[in-house]
Amino acid sequence: MLVAEHLTKRFGRREAVSDVSFTLHAGEVLGFLGPNGAGKTTTIRMLVGLARPDSGRIRIRGLDVATDFRRAMTHVGSIVESPDLYRYLTGRENLLHFARMLPEGAEERVESLAAMVSMRERLDDRVSTYSLGMRQRLGIAQALLGNPDVLVLDEPANGLDPAGIREIRELVRRLAGERGIAVFVSSHLLSEVELMCDRVSIIHRGRTLASGNVHELLDRFAGDRLLVRARPAALAAEMLSAFGAADVEASGGGGDLVSARVDPSRVPDALRELVGAGVDVYSVERPASSLEDAFLQITGGETV
Amino acid sequence: MRFAGLVENEILKISRQRRFRVVVLILIALIGLIVFAQSKGRDRYLGGKDWRVRTQERMASIQNWLRDGRMPASSQRWARFELGRLEYHLERDIDPDAISGPLFTRAFANASSYLLLPLLAIVFASDIVSAEFQQGTIKILLTRPVGRVRVLASKLAALMLAITLTTAFGALVAYAFGGIAYGYRGWGAPVLTGFRIGGERFDPAAVRSIALWKDTILVFGLAWFAMLCVGAIGLLTSVLLRSTAAAMGTMLAALIAGTILPRLASQWEAQKFLFVTCLPLPDYYSGSPPPIPGLTIGFAAAVLAAWAAAALVAAFIVFARRDVLA
Repeated sequence: MLVAEHLTKRFGRREAVSDVSFTLHAGEVLGFLGPNGAGKTTTIRMLVGLARPDSGRIRIRGLDVATDFRRAMTHVGSIVESPDLYRYLTGRENLLHFARMLPEGAEERVESLAAMVSMRERLDDRVSTYSLGMRQRLGIAQALLGNPDVLVLDEPANGLDPAGIREIRELVRRLAGERGIAVFVSSHLLSEVELMCDRVSIIHRGRTLASGNVHELLDRFAGDRLLVRARPAALAAEMLSAFGAADVEASGGGGDLVSARVDPSRVPDALRELVGAGVDVYSVERPASSLEDAFLQITGGETV
Repeated sequence: MRFAGLVENEILKISRQRRFRVVVLILIALIGLIVFAQSKGRDRYLGGKDWRVRTQERMASIQNWLRDGRMPASSQRWARFELGRLEYHLERDIDPDAISGPLFTRAFANASSYLLLPLLAIVFASDIVSAEFQQGTIKILLTRPVGRVRVLASKLAALMLAITLTTAFGALVAYAFGGIAYGYRGWGAPVLTGFRIGGERFDPAAVRSIALWKDTILVFGLAWFAMLCVGAIGLLTSVLLRSTAAAMGTMLAALIAGTILPRLASQWEAQKFLFVTCLPLPDYYSGSPPPIPGLTIGFAAAVLAAWAAAALVAAFIVFARRDVLA
């Protein structure tokens, strides 16, 4: 659906984006993860034709954005940076305004899209009276007016409360799942990408550091520290040591928390051993902090 | 997709913004104030004298000033011209000061052509592109399947329409208010036009008499043309500066400089190539002596058109090519 090849963008001497490539398939949500200032928004601006890459090529359904801009854009809907709309117009006027910039038929979709993002009731109020979450939803409705095959969302979770974030996340999953839309989502929040995306590309200082399936990638960065809440803790620690786990440590948590390092692929076996030995296992987790640590590590310790 | 739809969008945005209502209110308030002030001042000034006596007195005082010899060169030229004009009216037995609603309307067009009307054009023009940048909506506007040239062309069309409507509305308000003070009749009255300074002297050969309504339409047409040109230049500043305040400030400074420059530096002839100097087209048409030699109506119109065309070309090139960042 969307193919970006070797994108490079320079501002003066600084290379904001260097040799970034990725492919986005139908029905898939691709996360574009990186700290603020990593080049995410610059990349997105190139995807939707707002900025011209210094080198590299972007094709949307085979149409080159640089040479076939108009036809390429009929297949794309986007929110770049923030859901900016005409604040002095109503939600409906905004949607109709952008529908008039699309091929015939977009105006008829205004009602159903408004219903889909649960904005029907407020559609005739001015956008200046909307909350950020409402603007974000209306922005998504706007992006969907042209029945796009590709949806580009820049930091859709920014500034939203947890309920709003969840709403957006479910909407994105639904669009990809039910309509087969290819969704490109940028974010600086690892947890957000983990929940929303199928695949992820990690970008830092304009370069792609890693990309792949979200869970595989997370496994790779997660490290192998395991936290087991079990009783009796002493027996659990003993069993884990015997199993070959490193750095086994019975610690805190009211005396029944055991921490150990186990290779991710061997976790199921280790748990079977514990249960077989009569240990009661209450919970097992791989602490999220280690994911964040890993991310910090690969991005050079800058704020995530 | 249809171009009409794009223009409809732009008109919707212009008309729904507060500045549109402000422009309407400014026109109503200002014209009302002018009519009120003028009718008050006039009663006192005329003092009930016969207009022939009044005109002769005026001519005598102008002659005195001229004899005095302390007048700057540019004012001398004006004084000679005014003398010729009064003389001509006197010979024809026409009161040069008689006023009616229609005459007021024409006078308004004349007086507003070099500052007020261009100012209103600027209010619309400086906002039309920069506001999209400031609101962030440019990011949607330019990622729709519509070429950038078409987007800017629709904005230009809407701007021209707004300027046209503003001119027409100004004319209507001037006539309505002028009519209240001086009566609504008199569109058919003959007016003298085409006074021309040939060399140093007033040249009566060029003077023609035409119906006031024709003359008024002509004058408004010239003011409208000047406004369109200012609008085109304002569009360029809006594209270049991407900030409404900066664009409006720049254009305002240019306009004001244009009203000052010919008075303070009439010796500098090259200023006739500046668009601000050429703005008062109705003045040049109705026969005020050119502030600078060679600045005729045709020349001024050509200079304005050239500026407007260059501004549009630059605006389209920059708008179509430049990256939209932050």
